[in-house]
Amino acid sequence: MSTAVVGLGVRQYKRGAAPMSEHGVLVRAIVDACEDAGIDPADVDGFVTYGDDKNEPVRLMSDLGTKELSWSSQIFGGGGGGIAATFGVAAAAIISGQAKTVAVFRALVQDNSGRMSAAVMAHHLTDYIVGVGLTAPAVECAMRAQRMLEHHGVPRQCMEDLVRASYYHGARNPKAVSYGKELDVEEYRASRIIAEPFHLFDCSRENDGAGVVILTTAERARDLKQKPVYLKGVAQGTGKGWGDLLQNDADYASAGFKSVSRRLWAQTGLTPADIDVVQVYENFSAQGIASLIDHGFCTYDTVGEVVRYENLIAPTGKLPVNTGGGNLAQGFIHGIGTAIEAVEQLRGTSANPVPGARYSLLAGGPGAPTVSSAIFSTDTE
Amino acid sequence: MYDGMEVALNGLGNDANYWRALGEGRLSLPKCAGCKRWVWPAPFRCSECGSWELAWQDVEMKGEVYAWTRVRHPFGGAEALGLPYVVASVALPQANGIRLFGLLEPGDDAAIGLKVTGKVRTTHAFDRDVLAISWSPVA
Repeated sequence: MSTAVVGLGVRQYKRGAAPMSEHGVLVRAIVDACEDAGIDPADVDGFVTYGDDKNEPVRLMSDLGTKELSWSSQIFGGGGGGIAATFGVAAAAIISGQAKTVAVFRALVQDNSGRMSAAVMAHHLTDYIVGVGLTAPAVECAMRAQRMLEHHGVPRQCMEDLVRASYYHGARNPKAVSYGKELDVEEYRASRIIAEPFHLFDCSRENDGAGVVILTTAERARDLKQKPVYLKGVAQGTGKGWGDLLQNDADYASAGFKSVSRRLWAQTGLTPADIDVVQVYENFSAQGIASLIDHGFCTYDTVGEVVRYENLIAPTGKLPVNTGGGNLAQGFIHGIGTAIEAVEQLRGTSANPVPGARYSLLAGGPGAPTVSSAIFSTDTE
Repeated sequence: MYDGMEVALNGLGNDANYWRALGEGRLSLPKCAGCKRWVWPAPFRCSECGSWELAWQDVEMKGEVYAWTRVRHPFGGAEALGLPYVVASVALPQANGIRLFGLLEPGDDAAIGLKVTGKVRTTHAFDRDVLAISWSPVA
């Protein structure tokens, strides 16, 4: 049995501009996704989220009319490492018969749940961390980025090119915060430094909103409204030598995906060359690049040739990345937008389509203690 | 300040001795009492030999910068440090390369491989005093 994405819903606002509370925005997005799929919201019987989302599925029942809550779950970890893993647990629930129709969701309205960056760090705030001012994800990721540049020789230009490509796509995506706004490279370079080597534009935006992706059996998907997008494979976790180790990780400057990507390729029988389009969760530009390296799209030696602006642009680039604008330019509801764009590419509804795309990769949570990746496909199995 | 339950809340794993020593101006790091490996962060059980015992050992605060960043944005919780400040992860060759966080002070010459020597300092975060290592370039 395989599973497929049948419904997408997203409500995105500028931070502080959501017209209702987090709960309300989430219900809206779930209903949107159900309408997109052509199903009754009352028939959604499973829910899964990640990143410390506070919306317990049971509380959604009176809005959705849920007939039976059969299954609910959340991926551990405060960062975006769980985003692709949600699809793995949703598929596991469906394939094992514990649920029929599962909504993967993430909602974030900061008037209700506070700054996301603070919530992510709350997982790690020991005296080791607070004593040295390591109180924000930007600081932690900047240290790893600095090592990537200074020790491993990754060109600084790669960071700039990923940011430029994100804004290129975002400027052409009506759903993006940056729609209609090209990145001015001089403005990028002159923007204030947050933590070296990160300028302001190397850091993801935080937005208010909610995103929902509905999964069901491939068999049922064929009778619904949209072209089904199948979940080809998914892996989560981490390998020995990586985790919450006070930065004593092996392969420190990586994004932590080595074991996850190895399992993903083995599970699907695919290789990086088979992937048509990539969505990488880039909390910060350098971590997006580290994800690409970890998945085998390039190496420390070839990254300067591969992670180039022209190469990252849809549809002409060989490795179109973050074609909706990504967390940097589309908006950042804790990364759920990257999952939605991964599916839209295969439906053919992306604002920056990669024609004929068959395999779409989603990578979540670079630098987080546990991470996850998924591949979606137009293949029926 | 670092006794009993508070250590468990403020630190990580089985690290009470680390904080106790730091409070006395010393750096103490754990080896596995069974297989004699340096282990960090301090575990309750050795992942390699299964021993439940740690042998703590004083370690000279000398090492080299493994990674660093110079922070210029006023993040919450770091107010007491002023801006900019430099955070460094410092590798200790005498403890099999265990890496410890610290502030690099002064931080103007921050670079990977920079040789540094450390001392204990107190800083202030979230309305409490916190011990930290202050690393300085070796003259």
